[in-house]
Amino acid sequence: MPARLLAYYFEKMIFNSLTFLVFVAAFLPVYFMLKGRARLWWSLAGSYLFYGWWDWRFLTLIAISTLVDYYLGLRMGQTEGEKERKHLIWMSMVLNLGFLGFFKYFNFFTDSFVSMLQGFGLNPSIHTLNIILPVGISFYTFQSMSYTIDVYRRQLEAEPSLLKFATFVAFWPQLVAGPIVRASDFLPQFQKDHDWDWNRFTSGTAQVLWGFFKKVAIADSLAPFVDQCWHEPMAFTSVNLWIAVIFYAFQIYCDFSGYSDIAIGFARILGFDFPENFRTPYFSQNFSEFWRRWHISLSSWLRDYLYIPLGGNRGGKLMMYRNNMLTMLLGGLWHGANWTFVFWGFLHGLYLIAQRLLGKSFGNLMRQLYFPAFLKTGINITLVYAFTCLAWIFFRSPNFGIATDVITNLVGFENFNYVSIMNKFIVMKGFLLITMLLAVEISDLKIQWGGVVQRSPLFRVASFAVLLWLIAFFGTFGSNAFIYFQF
Amino acid sequence: MKNTIWVIAVLLLAFLGDRAGGYVLGKITHDSQFRYSRLYRGGENCDLLFAGNSRGLIFYQPYIEEKTGRPTCNLSYNGMPMDLAAVLIKDFLDRNSHPRILVLDVTMLDKRMDSRLVTGFNCYVPFSERLSDLMRDSFANDFFAGQVAHLYRYNSEVFQRAFYYLKKSDEDWLLDRVISPTLQKEVEKQAEFDYEFTPDMLASLAGVVNYATQKGVRVALVVNPYYPPFAEKIGNLPALKKAIEQATGLTVHDYSNSISGVEGFGDYQHLNKNGAKEYLDKLMEDGILGVSEDLGGGDRF
Repeated sequence: MPARLLAYYFEKMIFNSLTFLVFVAAFLPVYFMLKGRARLWWSLAGSYLFYGWWDWRFLTLIAISTLVDYYLGLRMGQTEGEKERKHLIWMSMVLNLGFLGFFKYFNFFTDSFVSMLQGFGLNPSIHTLNIILPVGISFYTFQSMSYTIDVYRRQLEAEPSLLKFATFVAFWPQLVAGPIVRASDFLPQFQKDHDWDWNRFTSGTAQVLWGFFKKVAIADSLAPFVDQCWHEPMAFTSVNLWIAVIFYAFQIYCDFSGYSDIAIGFARILGFDFPENFRTPYFSQNFSEFWRRWHISLSSWLRDYLYIPLGGNRGGKLMMYRNNMLTMLLGGLWHGANWTFVFWGFLHGLYLIAQRLLGKSFGNLMRQLYFPAFLKTGINITLVYAFTCLAWIFFRSPNFGIATDVITNLVGFENFNYVSIMNKFIVMKGFLLITMLLAVEISDLKIQWGGVVQRSPLFRVASFAVLLWLIAFFGTFGSNAFIYFQF
Repeated sequence: MKNTIWVIAVLLLAFLGDRAGGYVLGKITHDSQFRYSRLYRGGENCDLLFAGNSRGLIFYQPYIEEKTGRPTCNLSYNGMPMDLAAVLIKDFLDRNSHPRILVLDVTMLDKRMDSRLVTGFNCYVPFSERLSDLMRDSFANDFFAGQVAHLYRYNSEVFQRAFYYLKKSDEDWLLDRVISPTLQKEVEKQAEFDYEFTPDMLASLAGVVNYATQKGVRVALVVNPYYPPFAEKIGNLPALKKAIEQATGLTVHDYSNSISGVEGFGDYQHLNKNGAKEYLDKLMEDGILGVSEDLGGGDRF
């Protein structure tokens, strides 16, 4: 094979790449051959290789973060004095958020500051820096912070083994895009060796295949249509923009939940249980429920380490609204250094507040209209989905100008007809795949496909083969990165 | 042991299903009425052959056939790059009776065309050595993926169209809408742009012209119409024409600004059905489609 091809194939270490396939094929057999510390070393080496493949310089950052949090955790565990413990937790916060702030937000805040000064007629000469954003920094920073905070709160014993702690921070399945696994859930799982287990292998493989199907077949098939419309929103008729918005909601869901499924599946094969990260979020009937179903590991992190410390539901309604809004704004900012992400968070904060203010009256209205239960459920789900889509417009747009163009075109309804659909074949394929996804998710509520895979060998063989066919027939290959890598 | 058996069973079923599915989809591709299926089945008998990107779809076959009484074939496809067009045209000339005239829209000579479109033609790779070589050279990963998993060959919009046109003609594939007022305004905001053509593209076009000429086919090179305010944004159209004329020795007939009414456009790059008819009338009047003169063949326009 020519060197040019080898370089192309082994360029990226992402789940949907040949590089990763080779990595897993080499990693798994050795992992199960080794025991104890040797296995931990192998896991850490594999994780660092996985991460360093992106850019070896990223390793310095994760290593520093790991060493400092390990040391601070140990010190906190050995220290009784509250003042000193507070000191140590602040050091951990400053370091972790300092890294995150510098690598992710330095240019953003500098640009925003310059724009603000320009608004006052000043012309400052402040330069931004050429900073590379380390992949997944937001994920492992939050994961590592959860450890020091839990140790500070005395909810977790400090981990004496640096090797275990380093593996916890860098564990490759969820390193770059989560789920964010708490130290209290994860570290105890290092206490024993996990032997090869066929049941774990089958259920893990099922989840990995389902994740791949969501990513390469659904998300990556929807992506070109979405990208084209968002690139130049005013160049397309309204009907195309409506389709693009619907597609984007499913693209980001399948992209991100697909990654989570692959991560959780591989972790299960390796013997670790990660919490679920998505639970059919678009079937939510209100926004609180949406956030209990969407990116669960982040929303629960924000709830436990931000919303509740801010006061949570305590201190009256106004304080609760403020806490809701602050949490969502910071949640938005966590996603990326752009005001559109902050506005996305703001909208979700607004939805949560509006729901608390108007939810009861809306419920009463529904009752008075004597709608049957299924219709009420349908209306609730549709409303939550529609408002979520509205927020996604800002999340997807690189700036407010594009977001405004998208919305203007959507509500203009100009040429809103079938013949104006840009590429009916891509659109039909997109809707077919979304229908397949929804059919599986709806039926899963009753049938629990994961259980059937475990119980019935015949179904297992058939479902694995069908998933492989579907991936081959519908998949879009070419190592398209996962959307959440940028966060 | 039981566990090993089920792993083997999955792999075996996946393989057999892939081959069986690949066979069925291959049959669909072969039997379809889609233009490329007809091309590779062979036996097409047309006087006029057209090729281009999406802008080549405006060579509206039912209208041309009605007006000229001559059978037509069109190899145009959305985003068609020149190297792929060259393969398809040469394959057409090798497998079907030679047309008298080949009309090419030269706006394919632009880097912004979809070079990945070649991968969409994976479903036709089993029928063509040239296509197979082009794919192996340009997109080896897709080529090999198609060899490993036959289902993957049919994972494209091109196959979807072959399936859609399984039992019906694809000759009516043309925009049937009028450019929206918003889009008309949008054109004004657009910046000037240049065609990004390369020596490879020019060589590829010259190769097609020579190949066709050697087989006695007359070749006409045209620039199909743009929505006039958009046509004004093109910076280097004269340079493109000149380069093509030098490379091929043929005149490029420039119709980029030949249709003025808004009603004739589906968007700023494409005529709609009405516009296409108006344009085709002009081509016939000018003898590009060989109506007003002898269709003897052999000469160059």
